[in-house]
Amino acid sequence: MTRYAMVIDLNTCVGCNACMAACAMENQTEVWNDVWRTYVHDKEIGTGEYAHRRFFPRLCNHCDNPPCMSVCPTGATYRLDNGIVKVDQALCMGCRACAMACPYDARHEVTYADVRTGREFYGSDYRRTRPSMDKCTFCDHRLAAGQQPACVETCVGSARMFCDLDDPDDPVTRIVESGVARPLMPHLGTRPNVYYIDDMKRRG
Amino acid sequence: MDVTMSYATQDIWTWWIAIYLYFGGLGAATLAVTFLTDMYLKPHRDLVLWGAWSGIVLLALGSLMLFGHLLDHVAVIHVLNPLVLFYQPHAWIAWGTQFIIWMMFWGVLYALPYMYISPFFQKLWGVNRVMDWGWVQKIAELSTRYRKFIGWMATINGVGVAVYTGLLVQSFPAVALWHNPGIPLLFTVSAFSTAMAFLLLLMYVVIHDAADDHIRVLYERIDLVLISVELVIIFSFYQFMSSGDESAMRSLQLLWNDLGWLIGFIGFGLVVPFLLELRGVLKGWTSHVPIVAASLLILVGGYLLRHYIMYNGVYAYPW
Repeated sequence: MTRYAMVIDLNTCVGCNACMAACAMENQTEVWNDVWRTYVHDKEIGTGEYAHRRFFPRLCNHCDNPPCMSVCPTGATYRLDNGIVKVDQALCMGCRACAMACPYDARHEVTYADVRTGREFYGSDYRRTRPSMDKCTFCDHRLAAGQQPACVETCVGSARMFCDLDDPDDPVTRIVESGVARPLMPHLGTRPNVYYIDDMKRRG
Repeated sequence: MDVTMSYATQDIWTWWIAIYLYFGGLGAATLAVTFLTDMYLKPHRDLVLWGAWSGIVLLALGSLMLFGHLLDHVAVIHVLNPLVLFYQPHAWIAWGTQFIIWMMFWGVLYALPYMYISPFFQKLWGVNRVMDWGWVQKIAELSTRYRKFIGWMATINGVGVAVYTGLLVQSFPAVALWHNPGIPLLFTVSAFSTAMAFLLLLMYVVIHDAADDHIRVLYERIDLVLISVELVIIFSFYQFMSSGDESAMRSLQLLWNDLGWLIGFIGFGLVVPFLLELRGVLKGWTSHVPIVAASLLILVGGYLLRHYIMYNGVYAYPW
């Protein structure tokens, strides 16, 4: 069995936003609305000489217990056996309950107007046919072709690493097993599959 | 990573979903209360017709608010299918949609026999012609025969709608103000309190029958109890939010520094009507104006509650 997960090292993210651009082009997201499946937050932490910038990449955490899936009234949000949480565009009516339920702000809407703009922006290659809620898919179409997710492949600082948690020989899996990489807000019971290596311990 | 948390309210479900929740609770509770009154207190044609049709209209308006803001209106068909409950039993919108549909269905059935003896519906163009159809008359006869069964089916679905409005908000785990057992309780009590206020308004201003005095007195007493319970729940929320989860504490800071919440909802939406109705129950009023005023305040307060709850849920983000 495969269980996909991502590890993000906050020590090596330089905030170049290449992941955002790669994801947007790969997945044809609504960049004209400043809408992204993955986003890099830029935050100043500390004061005076201790101040530093933190770049914090954010995306769907592909939770084992995804609240977006449990609140979805039509069953449009579903979870694959490999852990990837997806949206069926044909089933989604766009009530936005998933966006309300997601603790990681990983859902965004695609409207009728966005679909029209998408046809102009991406041309004849545009794949979307109808409005729905949208989210990261871990680039499952690339995984099926034996490639890494676009954001992982393009990351210049190797801050994003992808792994199969059921493969004990995977070096990224070993990072997760070591406890160095931790999930966000585990107390919410969402059991996320995106892990972060904290940068704060190396400072001061 | 916790030291870098940021906090934000949402702009995804705003006033339109507050109206949906408000109309849903008010309409469903109104229908349920009038049917229970008709079945067990006093058969009352006007109350049933007003309760059923205002409940249905409120539910329809509320549902329209939700429908209007869907991204794909055609895809709503998937949630209208009753089988949705088998593959999405944990999704409260799926339950709510079915409760709303079936509440309307059983509500119309229950009201149908009364429509035949209502001068208004006998003259209402279009409706009176439909009521002349043989199969509709047959359904009305069946409704009369199985009156209590139909009444209970409508009531159960109505209570389901009222409870659902709170369970829906409760199902979002990231926001402490919402994700707690108090929210369904608060929304349910508020739904029935606003329904009592709505019915008191109807009975004092529209139906206005001296023979209904005992019903009005009962409604006033029930409403007084419901407002008391609501005040206790609000106090418990204050206690719950004042320590513990940072998300809850941020919501508390927003709510308890907002005059609309403090004076609008708690003051004029709960405390003032409570005092007006308390005086009415203990000593009585010589005029019905104070109870009408209290009812209007409760109705406004019911919306304000949902409005402020929706706008002041705080998400805690670790970035």
